[in-house]
Amino acid sequence: MKKNKVSFGFALPAFIIYTGLLVIPIIMAFYISFFKWNGFTDMKFIGIENYANLFQDTRLGNSVQNTLIIAVTVIVVVNVLGLFLAMLVNKASKANNFFRTIFFIPFVLSAVAISFVWKSILSYNGVLNGLLEAIGQDSMIGNWLGQKGTALVCIIIVEIWKTLGYHMMLYLAALQTVPAELYEACTVDGGGHWNKFRNVTLPLIVPGMSVSVLMSIINELRIYDVIKIMTDGGPGYDTETIVYNIVSQGFTSNIVGYSSAIAVVLFIAIGAISVFVVTALGKKEVEM
Amino acid sequence: MHSMKKNATITFVIQKLLLVVVGIFMFLPIYIALVNTFKDSGIILNEPLSFPLPPIFDNIRTVLDSPNTDLVQLYKNTFILVFAGTAITILVSSMASYFLARVKSRFSKVLRIYFLVGLMVPYVIIYLPLCILMRNTGIPFGVPSLIFIFVSGNIAFSTFMYTNFIRALPVELEESASIDGAGPFKRFWLILFPLLKPCTATILIFVGLGIWNDFQTPLLMGQVQTITVGIYTAVGPYSANWGVVFAYVFFAAAPVIVLYLLAQKSFVAGLTSGALKG
Repeated sequence: MKKNKVSFGFALPAFIIYTGLLVIPIIMAFYISFFKWNGFTDMKFIGIENYANLFQDTRLGNSVQNTLIIAVTVIVVVNVLGLFLAMLVNKASKANNFFRTIFFIPFVLSAVAISFVWKSILSYNGVLNGLLEAIGQDSMIGNWLGQKGTALVCIIIVEIWKTLGYHMMLYLAALQTVPAELYEACTVDGGGHWNKFRNVTLPLIVPGMSVSVLMSIINELRIYDVIKIMTDGGPGYDTETIVYNIVSQGFTSNIVGYSSAIAVVLFIAIGAISVFVVTALGKKEVEM
Repeated sequence: MHSMKKNATITFVIQKLLLVVVGIFMFLPIYIALVNTFKDSGIILNEPLSFPLPPIFDNIRTVLDSPNTDLVQLYKNTFILVFAGTAITILVSSMASYFLARVKSRFSKVLRIYFLVGLMVPYVIIYLPLCILMRNTGIPFGVPSLIFIFVSGNIAFSTFMYTNFIRALPVELEESASIDGAGPFKRFWLILFPLLKPCTATILIFVGLGIWNDFQTPLLMGQVQTITVGIYTAVGPYSANWGVVFAYVFFAAAPVIVLYLLAQKSFVAGLTSGALKG
């Protein structure tokens, strides 16, 4: 009989790979974050000094601010517009299928491919300025990626473009769980479009919405590829994000201990936000 | 009644108009990249929207002939990573999930949570310690080590998906087989694994596409020449020969777009169902 039991041996290969290449490095990151270290010479234990220094680091503060500006804007736009688009293409038809197909394409492509295409459009010697010149609007030509304000806007536009179709699909799946009878009941009761949305659609898609919001938060807090290729954090540090900051300090400047401290804080922040969103929106679902 | 009908028509027109506007916004960059791949670089800025008639293959040829990029090698590395990374992920995760789903013990519960934590890890925390770990243990950077790094990053998602899926399957099927004398190993591969096909398809697409598109991991873990890293190094951060840039993008994106158009439903399911079950 004992031979018939599913043993831990089944989980052992996954356990070894996961522990060795993911868990141990995370523990190492925690450990390293208490040292002053450039990655090569002797490590010097400095307690929580790295963490204390985080609060006086204006470059880090700037990258946190940029990340939050990008994240909040993108999260709001992709969730509001994503839900709206999902409702527009919810009915199965040839035209709607076509739109669904088109909207989702950017999400299957690599951030590298996408970023180079958008860079070719938005660069100073790029397609957009070429078009403006061709139609005689020279005064509107701008160095979109080379100026503080516009560079961040460009990053936001690319992030929205990349993820909008994904969030539309998440909402579409959520909408399809809403039984049609409920809408009919609402129509009989004399409910208009807004009424149907407020009283039928919204309460029933809360689970889907919490997932969509959570995914957009996690994705935007980790943004790196698009920045690396489109602006390389520039001009200056104007589009530098948290992850870009960690990589640039850890790999380029060799401030291993300090950059590990930033990464540890980011890890804890993402964990805390995930737990918070899941419990907060989970509660809402019950209340409604 | 008349005005209500009119209102409905206006709403309808506005809705369709909005769809078309967003549709143009979503499609235009792809269109620009595609048509300008087949144009002379000199005319791209003057007429970026025109159709490439007749198509010029100079940009494609520049990429194929470039002494700095061995496109065959890039594809080969990427294919090996995608294939081996996905296969090993599916193998170890499905087996681990069999244990997590079927054994009701405190240990298996803790182990399940242990694997779940990986879903929340921002991968940037891993790179530096992993580099140091590999340096100190003498493990060389390259395709083989990168395969296992990708596997480690995908185990959390895959075991989560498989465990939920196996839990929903009736135990009776396996039990009837165990009466016939089959051990747990045989039972898993002969009876259970074929039943996991829908879940395996999801993981195949999620993990495979993730590896194909990943840029940060191969870049930071030894600059392994995958298609994304290869394009990045070939184009260079400051290049502005857009025709050639588009040709590089074409080689990275074309296989994915073709596969997506052929198996659209599986792609959407593969990329969204993980989130939906979360």
